[in-house]
Amino acid sequence: MKKYWFIFKTEVMSNMQYILNVLAGFIGYFIMLFIFFNLWKYIYNEPNQIINGYTMSQMIWYVIITEILWSVLSGRKYCAKIIDDVRGGNIAYNVNKPYNYIGYCLATHLGSCFIRAIMYIVLGMFIGLIFLGNFPSLNIFSILAVLITGILATVISTLLLTFIGLFSFIIEDANPFYWVYSKLILVLGTIFPIEYFPTFIQPILKFSPIYVVSYGPAHLFVNFNWAEFINIIIFQFIYIIIAYLMCSLVYKIGVKRLNVNGG
Amino acid sequence: MLMEVKNQLKVSLLAIKYAVMREMLNKVTFITNIIFMILNNASFIIQWLILFSLKDNVGGYSFKQVMLLWGIASATYGFAHFFFKKAFSLSDTINNGKLDVYLVQPKNVLLSAICTDVDVSAIGDMLYGYIMLFVYGFNISSFLLFTLFVICGGLIITCVSVILNSLSFWFQKSDIIADTGNSLMTNIATYPEGIFKGVVKILLFTLIPVGIANYLPVKIISEFNIYLFVIVIGVTILFIMLAFIIFNKGLKKYSSSNLMIARI
Repeated sequence: MKKYWFIFKTEVMSNMQYILNVLAGFIGYFIMLFIFFNLWKYIYNEPNQIINGYTMSQMIWYVIITEILWSVLSGRKYCAKIIDDVRGGNIAYNVNKPYNYIGYCLATHLGSCFIRAIMYIVLGMFIGLIFLGNFPSLNIFSILAVLITGILATVISTLLLTFIGLFSFIIEDANPFYWVYSKLILVLGTIFPIEYFPTFIQPILKFSPIYVVSYGPAHLFVNFNWAEFINIIIFQFIYIIIAYLMCSLVYKIGVKRLNVNGG
Repeated sequence: MLMEVKNQLKVSLLAIKYAVMREMLNKVTFITNIIFMILNNASFIIQWLILFSLKDNVGGYSFKQVMLLWGIASATYGFAHFFFKKAFSLSDTINNGKLDVYLVQPKNVLLSAICTDVDVSAIGDMLYGYIMLFVYGFNISSFLLFTLFVICGGLIITCVSVILNSLSFWFQKSDIIADTGNSLMTNIATYPEGIFKGVVKILLFTLIPVGIANYLPVKIISEFNIYLFVIVIGVTILFIMLAFIIFNKGLKKYSSSNLMIARI
């Protein structure tokens, strides 16, 4: 565990050198929030109207949180790196190191998310307050609880992206799988809460990764209750175990198929 | 003059042809890239089905018009990224001194630099555009107008990218501005203009020409208007001229980095 903590710390320190790059990403985040702010303002006839259990303010805060989770993850870059490592053979440098490759990926990626997370949370809260002028009713304990679900959501997303990336061992380019995964998370989990979907789909979505990687933390933020927090945490731990086993399995199969041409 | 243009087009098309042949070496990857990009775009239909279940029209657009808007946005993006992929990373070409190879060729530098590679998944974007045209309602005139507007829109977003990336001739790190401009155009293009108000709406028809590349074509295909049609064509020509002028002005400031690269 110590070595993964060290990898995590190294990655955090290395990312602190590139804070300006993170600031550049803010512009994209702001654009998306601006679009959704306008969209929901148009959809809601008046701010106090309730649609599917959400006021306009709750809907926008929901999107602010899901967009933070999505932007902090920077999944496209991370997934593309694993795909390139597998396709280009760079993964050979990691195979013979005295660490578990999945653990290494998790530690490096969480390290790179750390600084981004702090900056996006501050910016997201600031934009929310400017756009809406209010803040959901949360106390220090509920804020901590939301943070914990947010961290676990990032762990699950990282493992699922690692799984997609490692899939390049089996088909050469796993990028298309990433596009579909990312769009499913974006459309079914980031833009709308589960309550917006037809009632027959809602139970399916509550068992899908969408519940644990985006809906859970964001819904807790806009409408916190402890019973739901415990429910989300249980689901998140189950997902972490499943996702980790899936990654280990595909890695095991992949490494057996690995051919490295020296050079 | 005409012969020169014809020759240049021939060379650019040949470069694209060879780039496609390179990509087709792995046929499975080639086809999955296209199919999954279509699926990727199609996933947004869910978003609009939900929004239209809440309100009869969004920003003054019916569901079919939003699908047409998506079709135009997707196909223009596909056209630009298929034929002019390198226009979207031109600042990297400039900053790293990779323009040298194009400077020694007896052809137009800008066209040679931006037509050297293709984005295979962009074929999926273009196909998706035409699928959306079928969803909206297909007839010969809408097909011809759609195709013309895809070319115009594709050229406009390519030119905007060339203009923003050309800032690299003058300023370091201007790639951030170019990336922001590109993502602004792409993200806004799929949302009806009616949801935006005031200054933003004016910007969409001027500095950020999403309105000209996407919104006006939807209006013209829905109900033909010769004035709007002339505006789209005129603005396209204006952006092409601006892109060439700014790139060529910047080129005079370019200095080689003595980078040695092999083009295979």
